[in-house]
Amino acid sequence: MVGESARSGRLLLAPIAVLYLIALIAPISFFLVMSVFRYSALELWVPTVTGENFARLLGEPYHRAIIVRTLKIALLTTVGCLGLGYPLAWYLARTASVWRGLLMFLVIAPLMTGVIVRTYGWIVLLGSEGTVNTILRGLGLVDRPLKILHTELAVVIALVHILLPYMVFPLFAALAGQDPDLERAAHTLGAGPARTFLEVTLPLSRPGILMGSALVFTLTAGAVVTPALMGGKDVQMLGQTIYELTMSTLNWPLASAVAFVLVLCQLAILLVYFRIGRGRAA
Amino acid sequence: MAKTILELQGVVKRYGATLGVGPVDVDVREGEFLTLLGPSGCGKTTTLHIVAGLLFPDEGRVVLGARDITRLDPQHRDMGLVFQNYALFPHKTVFDNVAFGLRMRRTPRAEIAGRVRRMLDMVGLPGVEGRLPGQLSGGQRQRVGLARALVIEPTVLLLDEPLSNLDAVLRKRMRLDLRELQQRLGIATIFVTHDQDEAFEMSDRVVLLNRGRVEQVGTPEELYDDPATRFAAEFIGETNLIEGVVAAAAGATVTVDTSVGARYDAFAPGRSLRSGDPVYVMIRPERIDLVPERPAGEVAMPVTVAKRVFAGDVITFELRTDHGLLLRCSKPSVAEYRALAPGAAVWAIVRDCRVLPRDGGGEA
Repeated sequence: MVGESARSGRLLLAPIAVLYLIALIAPISFFLVMSVFRYSALELWVPTVTGENFARLLGEPYHRAIIVRTLKIALLTTVGCLGLGYPLAWYLARTASVWRGLLMFLVIAPLMTGVIVRTYGWIVLLGSEGTVNTILRGLGLVDRPLKILHTELAVVIALVHILLPYMVFPLFAALAGQDPDLERAAHTLGAGPARTFLEVTLPLSRPGILMGSALVFTLTAGAVVTPALMGGKDVQMLGQTIYELTMSTLNWPLASAVAFVLVLCQLAILLVYFRIGRGRAA
Repeated sequence: MAKTILELQGVVKRYGATLGVGPVDVDVREGEFLTLLGPSGCGKTTTLHIVAGLLFPDEGRVVLGARDITRLDPQHRDMGLVFQNYALFPHKTVFDNVAFGLRMRRTPRAEIAGRVRRMLDMVGLPGVEGRLPGQLSGGQRQRVGLARALVIEPTVLLLDEPLSNLDAVLRKRMRLDLRELQQRLGIATIFVTHDQDEAFEMSDRVVLLNRGRVEQVGTPEELYDDPATRFAAEFIGETNLIEGVVAAAAGATVTVDTSVGARYDAFAPGRSLRSGDPVYVMIRPERIDLVPERPAGEVAMPVTVAKRVFAGDVITFELRTDHGLLLRCSKPSVAEYRALAPGAAVWAIVRDCRVLPRDGGGEA
């Protein structure tokens, strides 16, 4: 009987296994192989094994800068989401306010509008004739419009806004799952609010911090649309580079090598997540 | 009488428009084991949280020694609180859990190690310092919770239903262990429970709470023998209540005409009752004697056994009087009572009964 239920359980996993095989394992294997092939302007690629794609990627300052910039923006976006998301998640998890439902909705609401809509919203706000510059000039704080759009800052601001829900929900789950008596216990044992937070609340919310950070970091590292619209040509990231190499330059071997580096970064983050997350889970 | 060390004076706590507790007046004496007893929702945990400083009252004062601590934050109160669900820090080892309060007090590291080990010995858990709470059984966790609360040498130990998540056998053992430890340390303790057996077995005094108010304060004997209200009589132990009216009062003894026609001389210490006051006559089940023949020279009434419940050491009878009233009566499990089957006709003699005010009659 146990064998039977285990077998039917495995059967239930079959559709998702097939989907993963077709949509994930196969393409990744494809570009893993492609990344060591030689580029050819005529035939797109020739099946000769070469390390020249990786050599270009890691050797040329232009490509190295893109890798460093991508990691930097991903890190800043993660920190930004954490900084804004933690207080919000904490409030949502602790409040008994009647506004909690509305606030929860406001956190989810951005997910219901498209990425492009939200990104255009930021363009309107941050452009040289945009709301922010109009106000700054109106107040006489600046003479000429600040260049905010097409900077790394603009990309980070928009990504923080778009990816915030992915940070808030794991944090909320971790914080709401805590037994409120733990904080009470810390108080009666002599810990003030700050010590209680550092000794009890924060360490116990670590699974949420790790989960949210891993999500935001990997999503940022692979983002294409928002960096392209907010950063333009000045703020190239790995996602856009892959897109351009695949669709316009048609250098598939190099695109594959870039994709390989990107996936490697994301896997490294996931590995760190599982190592730290599992380490204390017992 | 021992000195009062902690006092709640007219404490009121509201939740929105609804009254949580109060006004509550309670005093805790040096070294005593005081229990807050009551049904769920009676405000006993709220009261305990007010003592611990986890809640501030809307009215009234909390006084510790000579000091008003009504608005003092919990971290400055030096009270040890033990939780129903243990509330051990799951990410810290047993050692770090117990050491937490000492670390917050900046106790030197070397001293902490010694005190933690001694306290774990005292609660009967040597050698588990390195384990995480998740690796311990419920009983062990509760002992760690107790050690964590006691190691800071609190002025008052607060116990919030600490035994109700344990199984029956363990619970009985922990009652004795807890009481023994409390007496050995001589620490004033407030214990919250809804379990009357627990309250009676462990306490020096019991505060009976109902709907946020104090119904009665007294030793277990006082609460059992002389409940102040109908609620107290029915919440504590089994009881028979018969409605009646005072026919005559002479000092502590009153004569009552009951709804069942019989006239009782009942004991009503400390109550000023007058002829015509509505009252209950309260008879505890074990204070009714059963005899086969009408006894000479005693007030007795003929009854029929309606139901018989055998519980090993005790047999409980439901007796029907001529007026159709049902009385509960419990007798030791010996041959003469084992022989009484439903339908048997016997004579009941009421050995002792008390009078309670009814419909707000008498003083509360």
